[in-house]
Amino acid sequence: MASPCNCIAGTVRSLRPMIAPRTEPIFLRFAARRTLVHSRASGTAMVARKLGSKAAVSVSRAKIQCLDSGSTAGGVWRGSRAFSFSAPRSKLKTIQQVWARNKGGPFNITAAVIFVGTAGALWAYFTYEKERMARKRIAEQTKGIGKPKVGGPFQLVDQDGLSFTSEDMKGKYSLVYFGFSHCPDICPDELDKMALMYEKVKEKCGDVLLPIMISCDPARDSPAVLKEYLQEFHPDIIGLTGDYEQIKETCKAYRVYFSTPPNVKLGQDYLVDHSIYFYLMDPEGDFVEAIGRNFTAEQAAKVISDHIKDWQGPLKKKDRWA
Amino acid sequence: MGWWPFGSSEQDGVKKTSGGAFESPSRTNRAKCYEARDAFFECLDRNDILDSINTKDGRATARNACGQEDVIFEKNCAHSWVEYFKKQRVVNYQKEQTIKRIEAEGGEIVAPQLPTRGSS
Repeated sequence: MASPCNCIAGTVRSLRPMIAPRTEPIFLRFAARRTLVHSRASGTAMVARKLGSKAAVSVSRAKIQCLDSGSTAGGVWRGSRAFSFSAPRSKLKTIQQVWARNKGGPFNITAAVIFVGTAGALWAYFTYEKERMARKRIAEQTKGIGKPKVGGPFQLVDQDGLSFTSEDMKGKYSLVYFGFSHCPDICPDELDKMALMYEKVKEKCGDVLLPIMISCDPARDSPAVLKEYLQEFHPDIIGLTGDYEQIKETCKAYRVYFSTPPNVKLGQDYLVDHSIYFYLMDPEGDFVEAIGRNFTAEQAAKVISDHIKDWQGPLKKKDRWA
Repeated sequence: MGWWPFGSSEQDGVKKTSGGAFESPSRTNRAKCYEARDAFFECLDRNDILDSINTKDGRATARNACGQEDVIFEKNCAHSWVEYFKKQRVVNYQKEQTIKRIEAEGGEIVAPQLPTRGSS
């Protein structure tokens, strides 16, 4: 360590008489910037380290001369010290002090902060981009070419007895759930979760999501029954029902397992097996992603909000009846 | 109340249709049913009974040990729900045992699901 430095110092010392005072500010600026140079090019640390010590030696020499002559270079010196937290170099009178000061090499707190900061920012950016691309891929994958793979046209009635078709879903994202009011335990839990998800998404993205529950049990779930039933979960949930064939077709379009007996007697007691996924559909009516029971309301709301934020096309913020 | 033209004339318990289904599966009615179910299952746990529906023997033991709880259970729930919950108790127990066994063997449980972010 000592000998090469001595050589360099010697060279600088011997060069010194040849350097005109006018050129000194350039050396000074170079020295002040070296922390930045090092933080960007950590791969060339060793080379930079040598340069650094060389520069520092020049600086100390130059500084001493500045003090001696009281030239205008002193102003430049103060102005370019903004990045340094260490002891002022004017205190370093001898070459030994300069070496002691530069013992730590080019690594100082500023360089470390900038390096970690840059690395963190890059990491955050690439993570975000990676997630966005993955979401895009899912959205693209599930968007069937020509005929959609999940979902499709349907014509049903809502809980107020008004006609509701697949066209009414357009312009907003929709969260479609299949269930029935006489469901023992899973559907009520999932509908409570749906209400939470809906609220969270609404808070984050505005009124751009339609929560829809399609009954798999049209014989018992009349619009009036659905109205009273859904009111307890969230007044905004749209409950859809229809006749047996309409519901069967809709379930088939959404690839929902459908086991409702076709001819039930009034008052008959039975259960219906059905799939328990939430289907997220985009504003063009295409399937985006299925959200299973293993998602918490929080996680599901995040998945939905992220897809909504990715959407480039127009989104209706108004109510469909407005 | 009463979307159905006829209902049962039971005074206690939830209102039911002639077929034994809920007239209105509202939140309150569901809560009552869950409460009755939990009481019945607690009784089964106390008497170390797992299956109260699938076997003749199980049905008899359950009736002897927890007959009263069973009646309240039936009164507060739709009949289809009672059957569902009783069967679910057995299934849940078996599932728990399977998971325990797999974990004891050092395996990992991965729930099957549609491809989601990060898994595809």
